[in-house]
Amino acid sequence: MKHNKAQKFGMVIDLDKCTGCGSCMVACMSENNVPFRKDESDKFLSITWMRVYRLTNGKPFPNTDICYLPRPCMQCAGQHEGHSPCVSVCPAIATDYSTETGIVSQIYTRCFGCRYCMASCPYHARYFNWWDPIWPDGMEKYLSPNVSPRMRGVVEKCSFCFHRYQLAKEKAFMEGRRNIEENEYQTACTQACPAGAVTFGDLNNPDHAVYNLVKPDHKHSGRPTNPHAFRLLERLGTNPKVYYLSSRKWVRQVGDNYLKNEAKVKKPVHHG
Amino acid sequence: MKIGRRGFLSFVIGGAAGTALSPLPWKLTDDSSIWTQMWPWTPVPKDGETSYVNSVCTLCSGGCGITVRKIDERAVKIEGMKGHPINNGGACLLGLSGLQLLYGPTRIKSPLKRTGKRGQGGWEKISWKAAVSEVVEKLGNLRSKSQSHTVGFVSGSDRGTIPRLFERFLTAYGSPNLMRMPSVRDSYELTLHMMQGVQALPGFDFENADFILSLGSGIIDGWGSPVRMFRANSAWQNANVKVIQIEPRLSNTAAKSSKWIPINPGTETALVMGLAHVIIKEYLYDTGFILNYTNGFEDWKRLVMDNYSPDSVAAITGIDSGTIVVLARSFANASRPLAICGRGDGSSPVSLKGCTAVHALNALVGNVNKKGGVWAVSDTDYISWPEIEMDSKAAAGMQHERLDGAGSKKYLFSRYLMNRLPETVNSGAQYPLQALFVSGANPLYTLHDTKSTEKAFDKIPFVVSFSSYMDETAQNADLILPNHVFLERYEDVPAPVGLIQPVIGLAKPVVEPQFNTRHVGDVIIRMAKGLGGSVADAFPWDSYYSCLKETLNDNWETLVDKGFRSDTELMNPTLESSFDTVSGKFEFINPDTGSMPQFKPVSIEGDEKLYPLVLIPYDSIRLANSYIGDPPFAIKTVEDTVLKGKYVFVEINPKTARSAGLHEGQRVLLITPKGKAEVKIHLFEGIMPGIIALPRGLGHTAFDDYLAGKGINFNTLIGTVEDPDSGMDTAWGIRAKLSKV
Amino acid sequence: MDSALIPKGVKRCPLWQFLLFTGAVGIVLLWGVYAMLLCWFKGLNQTNMNDYYGFALWIWADLAVIAVGGGAFFTGLLRYIFGKDALKNIINYAVLIGFICYSSALLILAIDIGQPLRGWFIFWHANVHSMLTEVAFCLSAYFGVLTIEYIPLILENRQIDKVPFFHHLGHNMHEIMAVFAATGAFLSFFHQGSLGGVAGVLYGRPFAFREGIFIWPWTFFLYTWSAAACGPCFTILVTKITEKVVRKKLVKDNAIELLAKISGWMLLTYTMAKTYDTWYWFTVTAPSKGFALMDFYSNNPLYGIWMLVVEIGICGLIPAVILITDKGRKNSMTLWIAVILAVIGVCLNRWVMVLQVMAVPVMTFDQWVLYIPSWQEVATTILPLAYGIILIAISYRYLPVFPNEPELNPIEPLNEEETAVESPVELEQELKPAEA
Ligand SMILES: Nc1nc2c(c(=O)[nH]1)N[C@H]1C(S)=C(S)[C@@H](COP(=O)(O)OP(=O)(O)OC[C@H]3O[C@@H](n4cnc5c(=O)[nH]c(N)nc54)[C@H](O)[C@@H]3O)O[C@H]1N2
Ligand SMILES: Nc1nc2c(c(=O)[nH]1)N[C@H]1C(S)=C(S)[C@@H](COP(=O)(O)OP(=O)(O)OC[C@H]3O[C@@H](n4cnc5c(=O)[nH]c(N)nc54)[C@H](O)[C@@H]3O)O[C@H]1N2
Ligand code: SF4
Ligand code: SF4
Ligand code: SF4
Ligand code: SF4
Ligand code: SF4
Ligand SMILES: [Mo]
Repeated sequence: MKHNKAQKFGMVIDLDKCTGCGSCMVACMSENNVPFRKDESDKFLSITWMRVYRLTNGKPFPNTDICYLPRPCMQCAGQHEGHSPCVSVCPAIATDYSTETGIVSQIYTRCFGCRYCMASCPYHARYFNWWDPIWPDGMEKYLSPNVSPRMRGVVEKCSFCFHRYQLAKEKAFMEGRRNIEENEYQTACTQACPAGAVTFGDLNNPDHAVYNLVKPDHKHSGRPTNPHAFRLLERLGTNPKVYYLSSRKWVRQVGDNYLKNEAKVKKPVHHG
Repeated sequence: MKIGRRGFLSFVIGGAAGTALSPLPWKLTDDSSIWTQMWPWTPVPKDGETSYVNSVCTLCSGGCGITVRKIDERAVKIEGMKGHPINNGGACLLGLSGLQLLYGPTRIKSPLKRTGKRGQGGWEKISWKAAVSEVVEKLGNLRSKSQSHTVGFVSGSDRGTIPRLFERFLTAYGSPNLMRMPSVRDSYELTLHMMQGVQALPGFDFENADFILSLGSGIIDGWGSPVRMFRANSAWQNANVKVIQIEPRLSNTAAKSSKWIPINPGTETALVMGLAHVIIKEYLYDTGFILNYTNGFEDWKRLVMDNYSPDSVAAITGIDSGTIVVLARSFANASRPLAICGRGDGSSPVSLKGCTAVHALNALVGNVNKKGGVWAVSDTDYISWPEIEMDSKAAAGMQHERLDGAGSKKYLFSRYLMNRLPETVNSGAQYPLQALFVSGANPLYTLHDTKSTEKAFDKIPFVVSFSSYMDETAQNADLILPNHVFLERYEDVPAPVGLIQPVIGLAKPVVEPQFNTRHVGDVIIRMAKGLGGSVADAFPWDSYYSCLKETLNDNWETLVDKGFRSDTELMNPTLESSFDTVSGKFEFINPDTGSMPQFKPVSIEGDEKLYPLVLIPYDSIRLANSYIGDPPFAIKTVEDTVLKGKYVFVEINPKTARSAGLHEGQRVLLITPKGKAEVKIHLFEGIMPGIIALPRGLGHTAFDDYLAGKGINFNTLIGTVEDPDSGMDTAWGIRAKLSKV
Repeated sequence: MDSALIPKGVKRCPLWQFLLFTGAVGIVLLWGVYAMLLCWFKGLNQTNMNDYYGFALWIWADLAVIAVGGGAFFTGLLRYIFGKDALKNIINYAVLIGFICYSSALLILAIDIGQPLRGWFIFWHANVHSMLTEVAFCLSAYFGVLTIEYIPLILENRQIDKVPFFHHLGHNMHEIMAVFAATGAFLSFFHQGSLGGVAGVLYGRPFAFREGIFIWPWTFFLYTWSAAACGPCFTILVTKITEKVVRKKLVKDNAIELLAKISGWMLLTYTMAKTYDTWYWFTVTAPSKGFALMDFYSNNPLYGIWMLVVEIGICGLIPAVILITDKGRKNSMTLWIAVILAVIGVCLNRWVMVLQVMAVPVMTFDQWVLYIPSWQEVATTILPLAYGIILIAISYRYLPVFPNEPELNPIEPLNEEETAVESPVELEQELKPAEA
């Protein structure tokens, strides 16, 4: 069978619409069997594949402004495809870049927990299982068989709900189709977002909404041509596939580091 | 045999080399690594056949449709139902965590009878038969002593078949004491009654409005039907609709609005009056509507013009007069402006004068009962049951005045005043409450002034909870008759308040009941049958299921199939039929009471000298604060600037903190006239100096280890402030101080 | 009691004193072992590491011991390849110290990973692009080499040496040691380098990231260089400390001075290279990613700009100058200061390149992160130290680690009877024909 054209699954999050409601975080946790503990208030130890950051513009009352910024794994491609910060460093190929889908995988049963990938990820998208995952008695009933629970000592992260891609592919295959439609593969967080702030699809496909929202310039590592679109830490060359939209300048500037003479914005503060 | 040193060495070296070359160590290494991949203590979810069930989420009054993914008999994921008129695929994080409530450790697994002292956690499992008999015996005794009116019911809602069965039961039994938990709906219902003469639900046509003025309503912080509001908010972004948020703190809603105007807390009504002043002065109001459909405008106008000039309003609200004038003009000049009230998530009422003022502002621009405006929605009444034949005992019981004072001479038009119950019980001024049944509510957690509520509960000899979870009220009950959770039961879900199109949802069993629980509807029917006579006669159904099916009648098939029924054909009420007042018009002045919309400050408890700060609550969609507590997933999303370990953070402006010598993360004692608690400081530029804020929804003492003991319950720090016009509790804050520990 | 095991011509403290000393250190060792077992059986939740600080105290210790263990390969290189004969008097000790450092490093790695039983995946599922893979391969191979270099010394134990097989084995191994030294130097070059690469390739972390040539960032070369410069200083330092402890001179001055001189020049050139690297990094690399120098140095006391000054100036330039001057290295006081500073410097460099990397915020809304190790981490980090001291004590007592020792510390010959009883002549004869 002829191989499909390479896809580049990506996400566009409209920060003007995002309300910080946290539905995406919970949709992800319940879709992906993410464990929880009695005290999750230490965010350095709390596994949240999707984390919603709360940013403020740092200005005093009453000129204060807040913006919420949901952060899944950016599925970085790096400067040449597959040279993601994390994939390039993993000594055991327990995390890999798929040129087919553009998705950075994580194989829990291969990972031996060296955490080098975590050190390499500037987005803190990777989480280590410091503890054995424990579900209170009875609660393991809701665990989904599509995603295996992770054992202690390995790293996990957002997979762009890869199992949903697999299920969609399988379904298409059974129906004798080669390609899947845009709506056949949508991530759990995209679906759950009550504000409709998250859009998901193939950045290589001009028919897909994500493509039209950011108009990625694939000749230049997919940088957005929509002036309201930006990516986090674009200047590092991580080449993420998660884009953000904002009409507010300070929000777009929060996305990257600038020298003082480049942008005269007050450094924003992160709360929580 | 003699083994020489040489032989021994050869043996050891050869053996080592042999072992290394053999498959054994490699096999063992491999096995050990495989073992780590299937540690028996890491669960392996069983695979099976996938199926989907459509139902309705009842974790709040939002009415969202859900689709539950199942693997064989297990529910594994809740998702928003695509195509549902309220949420169209979206869901809030509480709804998405629903399975943790279904399978969670906080569930009550069988009927429980208290052993030992109340609230000490001693329980004995009993059979359903014994449990229901005990209730029937108690109720039978009271009734035979002509004390039926001393039985009360507290319910989270008064709509749908379940609350209506409670009501029916109480009527047939002989007690007027059915109480609904307070919310801003109380204020709106009363306002619609006072100004339009109707008994109706407030409806807001957000989807068609083009300018929203929100007086502290947390549009995206849980107000109204939460997911519907999220969607409306996004639609406004797309359509460039202006949203103006008035409140002292930069809430999420304020942050998402087009403009946030901070205001001195508690002075919102003054602003509304000021806006009316500008609109009237500049002739920006809808003269046609005012002339043809309203009554009393001239009197009200005089009041407005005499007292609420922008300058005087500026002095009260702290908003400069220029801003007031501009706001008034842009509100009036919008084609479909809409003003709403009800602070935060709307779980607390606002004063009658305040709510009528907001409604008057809407009336000024003529947006009553029309596209993009405020509607009086008559509840779709699909419930028609045979008349109740009351016996003499029941009739006598129903003659008593309600314990909460609703409908009394003082609060003639108020329907429920649950907030007044603790005080009435504690003061003993009226008859004592002998038994209280609680369903879909957790008053011991959610009512202001927890201490006084606890005291009142202590005085009630028999408290029965229908809760599925070990909440604060269940923990302090004498008997728990656990209901199925929503994923295990049938229940009709009427359209959420605020919606204008009629929608009925049907929650249905997604999985078999997991424990020895019973549908509360069945229990009520059993109780009635147990009491016999006319009470039993009022319940001609053999089960709740047959009652529901019969009630829903033609709708049943559709509801079971789709999970909801929605009529797209709206009953667009004509203005002529909108007003059921004596004048047949919109009344700016209530003819019975003569009361007019105006600003009468609701003063809060506490001496300014002793308590230099003002403490207000805030709501967040990530913190459930009604009768459901945050499940583990939801509490996991709470930021570390809100909760850290067992400490909740109190938000304070850096300026205020600096002058008090307080710094970020510092542990302090927060003291109000009602109580004190240890909290941590969080500096937040988005809060008005002099004001401090705490989130609601924390500080549970019940539920499980994932929720209990985190932070403090705001309600333990605040008292009640009774609105003289309605009897509702309109406390919006309390004075407070912070002292270093 | 154990005099039969003690090398000829040297004097050792009484056995009870030795046992008391090793026993005391052994208690510390056991404490470390206990902590290690906790980490293995309960998992890394025993540490205070977290998702922001995924590399912490013991990984620093790991890098630091490898850096200071660099004395072994560099001394070997000088001794066997460049033929610096004077170093034959210190090479044994250098190898021993290296062996301790590298075995410790491997042990730390085995504790550090979340799934120790899968540690071998790094070889089996090797990702050739990963610096850590390179580290793992070279480190393990070089540890093999060090073991081979250490074995002949063990074989020289008086009793073992009596076994003709071991005697000859040891002799033959000595003959070909140049081959191992060369292999070791080659491997060391790569693993020291790839350890430098571990941080340098992190292009998502502008504080660590360095440009370079081909697949290697500059830190690759800087690490090898600094290990070659400071490793011998550590060898000298440990030698000096051992001498102080046993109150004897063990190595002739010419060996120490030669090593010190070469180290000095290595350190000087390294410091220059490091200065250039730092300058390039903060004028070109970091600004291109939007970072100014002071973005990397917080105003908290731990990660201030002082670290850079101390690392390059105080612990780089000063010891280099001392060591390259004749006077400096001949004066015992300044030599002490120089080697201590050099060792602190290289350890500080490893600290900065591992721990500060984790602490510096990259996303604009991240904050500086501080980290305080748990007692389990401290114990497991001290564990190798205790183990090293014990191994040195045992080796020093029973092996001829210091060839100069008898000459520098002449003692009265042992009484004839004792030697006679201890010498199993018959056995030796019995074995001889077979060996021939
Ligand atoms: N130790 C250990 N190792 C394991 C396992 C284990 O249990 N223990 N599990 C094993 C199992 S079950 C699996 S499935 C693997 C998973 O490991 P891999 O098979 O390495 O795959 P992933 O990276 O998980 O999945 C996505 C990869 O598949 C490729 N891909 C995706 N779609 C397509 C496509 O349509 N065509 C082609 N040609 N390639 C595509 C992408 O390149 C991408 O890298 O790990 C295996 N490795
Ligand atoms: N997020 C995310 N999800 C994924 C993937 C991904 O890359 N990312 N990969 C997908 C892929 S390719 C695969 S294959 C799956 C793997 O997902 P799973 O099928 O869940 O496979 P494993 O995680 O390898 O776990 C297999 C489990 O089977 C159990 N087991 C082993 N032998 C037996 C047996 O004889 N009987 C029973 N009852 N149990 C046994 C072991 O306890 C082990 O934990 O995950 C899929 N889901
Ligand atoms: S679900 Fe949507 S609106 Fe809510 S936090 Fe996530 S992205 Fe934002
Ligand atoms: S965000 Fe982090 S984990 Fe995800 S691909 Fe990029 S570097 Fe890897
Ligand atoms: S922690 Fe796991 S995935 Fe990450 S680098 Fe190490 S082996 Fe690879
Ligand atoms: S894409 Fe899937 S795995 Fe990633 S954050 Fe969203 S729900 Fe989680
Ligand atoms: S808004 Fe209410 S009804 Fe809708 S999903 Fe959330 S909890 Fe359920
Ligand atoms: Mo697989």
